Amino acid sequence: MDVSLGIDVELNYREPRRVVEVFERFATANGVSDLVVQRFCLALDEVLTNVVSYGFEEGSEDPLIRVDIGLGEDRLEVSVEDNGLSFNPLADAPLPDVTLPADERPIGGLGLHLAKNLIHDISYRRLHDRNCLTLTQPL
Amino acid sequence: MIAAVTGRVDSVNATSFEQELSKAMEGGSSRLVVDCGGLSYISSAGLRILLLAVKKTRSQGGGVALCQVQDHVREVLEVSGFTRIMTVRDTVDQAIASF
Repeated sequence: MDVSLGIDVELNYREPRRVVEVFERFATANGVSDLVVQRFCLALDEVLTNVVSYGFEEGSEDPLIRVDIGLGEDRLEVSVEDNGLSFNPLADAPLPDVTLPADERPIGGLGLHLAKNLIHDISYRRLHDRNCLTLTQPL
Repeated sequence: MIAAVTGRVDSVNATSFEQELSKAMEGGSSRLVVDCGGLSYISSAGLRILLLAVKKTRSQGGGVALCQVQDHVREVLEVSGFTRIMTVRDTVDQAIASF
């Protein structure tokens, strides 16, 4: 990766917005197209919001959340790592039916659906008691 | 009833977005036009509020129509299937006329 940036994230509901803004400035300054920046902002927001809202039990000791952004000539890669509860968003999150009429739609559950559908490739692995989700986009 | 939303709607301020929409619907009209011309960003936390507004207005025989939606916000609405459950028009007048 030609340029990279690491961001330590606190376990706080305001953090996704801060991290998204940091990412947006970094990606824009490094010439990533507006379309890709906007898609990643949303995906990162949804993934992080999920982690800070549900990823840790109350009173978890030493919660660790870290975002690493890597940008090369031909791809953008953003990984989100945390030492919270084991959770694979690709397998463990229920898939919403976005074709249902309004009165049958459940409230919620769209965040990870958006992330999965807006990003070219997402992979998950559980390593050393950590969740690691990587979002990749060829450029 | 016409409401305008500006800036970003995410999990940090979705509650105030919900309060503003509720206020707009208090007048008793079940037809809600949301002018999204100034809306630069919406996450699922904001979509949740829009869905609640759609359910509420539809149960009263009305609905929600959006207008002046920016491209990436429109993409989010499409991926979520929201363009199936609410009207999206270019201008405020067209949104009003859609009811």
